Amino acid sequence: MPTAIVTQSNGHVVQIRLVPSESTEDTVVESAEEGTPTATSSSGEATTEVKTAPNPIAPETKELAWAAGSFLVLFVILRYFLFPKLKKGMDARYADIRSDIEGADQVKLSAQSDVAEYEKALAAARAEASTRIDAARQTVDNERTAQLAQVNARIATARAEADQQTSAARAAAQGEVAAAVAQVASKAAELASGRTPDASTVQAAVAAAMQSAGSR
Amino acid sequence: MIALDFPEINSILRWKDIFPGFNKIALIAVLAVVISTLIFLLAVRQDHKEAPRGIRNLAETIVEFIENGVVMQTMGKDGLAWTPFLLTMFMFIYLCNVPGIIPFFQMPATARMAVPLFLALMVWVIYNVTGIKHQGVGGYFKSTLFPPGVPKALYILVTPIEFISAIIVRPFSLAVRLFANMMAGHILLVTFALLSEALFQAKDKVLIPVGILPFFMLIFLTSFEVLVAFLQAYIFAMLTAVYIGGATHPEH
Amino acid sequence: MEAIARLIAAEAATPADAKNTAAAASAGYAYGLAAIGPGIGIGYLVGKSVEAMARQPEAAGMVRTTMFLGIAFTEALALIGFVVFILLKFA
Repeated sequence: MPTAIVTQSNGHVVQIRLVPSESTEDTVVESAEEGTPTATSSSGEATTEVKTAPNPIAPETKELAWAAGSFLVLFVILRYFLFPKLKKGMDARYADIRSDIEGADQVKLSAQSDVAEYEKALAAARAEASTRIDAARQTVDNERTAQLAQVNARIATARAEADQQTSAARAAAQGEVAAAVAQVASKAAELASGRTPDASTVQAAVAAAMQSAGSR
Repeated sequence: MIALDFPEINSILRWKDIFPGFNKIALIAVLAVVISTLIFLLAVRQDHKEAPRGIRNLAETIVEFIENGVVMQTMGKDGLAWTPFLLTMFMFIYLCNVPGIIPFFQMPATARMAVPLFLALMVWVIYNVTGIKHQGVGGYFKSTLFPPGVPKALYILVTPIEFISAIIVRPFSLAVRLFANMMAGHILLVTFALLSEALFQAKDKVLIPVGILPFFMLIFLTSFEVLVAFLQAYIFAMLTAVYIGGATHPEH
Repeated sequence: MEAIARLIAAEAATPADAKNTAAAASAGYAYGLAAIGPGIGIGYLVGKSVEAMARQPEAAGMVRTTMFLGIAFTEALALIGFVVFILLKFA
């Protein structure tokens, strides 16, 4: 705490002494001017301690003036010269970037439509190919079925012929067997009875026997 | 034991004139103007067509921070016209705060009441003027002093409170917040610097290693002050935006 | 506090000295008391904000902005206490 020791002699300032070492010149001057003794001494010659330290919070006029001046100068410089320029540059670049982005978007859109067209064409080609393949398969199928039918028919006729031949051969063979059996039976009946049996009876008997043998 | 002589408070806050009428605080304020002008001048001179690099990147980041972090959050799209003002405010306060931790400066200009007081009074004038301009004298005072949606009988209570808060407390708290934050940080840094110095030079050799502790605290506080310098500039700009936004668009 | 003031007044040489000493002695209390409320307030505020950000990370930017505004308003009280401390001690 700075203390100005004012030595007075009959109301005249004799000596002013400041205790702290680092006080500014202001302090000295102010203390000399404003220093009023708080306690009046009884005698005419006394040493009174006067507290005259300037308030550390009180604003100083010169600092206020310098701060105000510099702030206003900076404001004018920024507001009217530098900031508009900087902002213009920034806006121009942002506009560039935005238009670039829009261009890229358009390119992307057109590319997308190209891709869509290509896909459409591809789908059409695929559909055509599949119809052609189907048609080809159809014709192949038709031919095959036709050939199959032909072959089947041929096989059927051949089989029918063969069946006919075999049944004819069987009938012939049966006839021969029946004739042979009838001959043998008539011979055997002739030998046994001494008289020739009636041919129709023998034949009926043989037919009955063969019938029963066949069914057995 | 050691005796720690804390210096008289004025000797760590008030500075001798470098030349008449121009002291360290004024130097810092002028340097803040010079540095921010340089940043934006160099940024503007770069080609704006390519992707921003270096100083232009820095300048554009600051501008976008003010636009998106301050204006859009508080005033919306209509407030974008205020961007240069808030940008100036942010740059000036930040560059006045930051010398508090820069060697050889070691003094935030905003730790003297003059700087925050000027800024707060200016903001006070600006938001009142914009309010009157946008809503007319009667409309502005009606919307600030008689907030809608309050029962009529309560206006006896609400109106004086609103008056005190909008007309007196706002600029006062705006100034005091910035000033006291920076001054408290400055005093803390001084305290720990002095403490570690006294311990390092102690006659009792046992005390010398103990000086490490306040020294680490000093380092921590220095990095904390980096954050505070930014945060106070941000908060000041944001509150300015809030007040101006409130004056232009009254609550319905 | 008055008791302290009276005690100091009894010791001090002049009334002005007594006032200064009492002011210096109470300056610390001024700041200490002023820091309690905002301390609680800021703790509560930041805690709630973190909760909100954890619950809705997509709203984190908005919550953070509002949090800083709230901190600024709350902190002003403590800082006024600090200014009162400086005023009592040095003015």
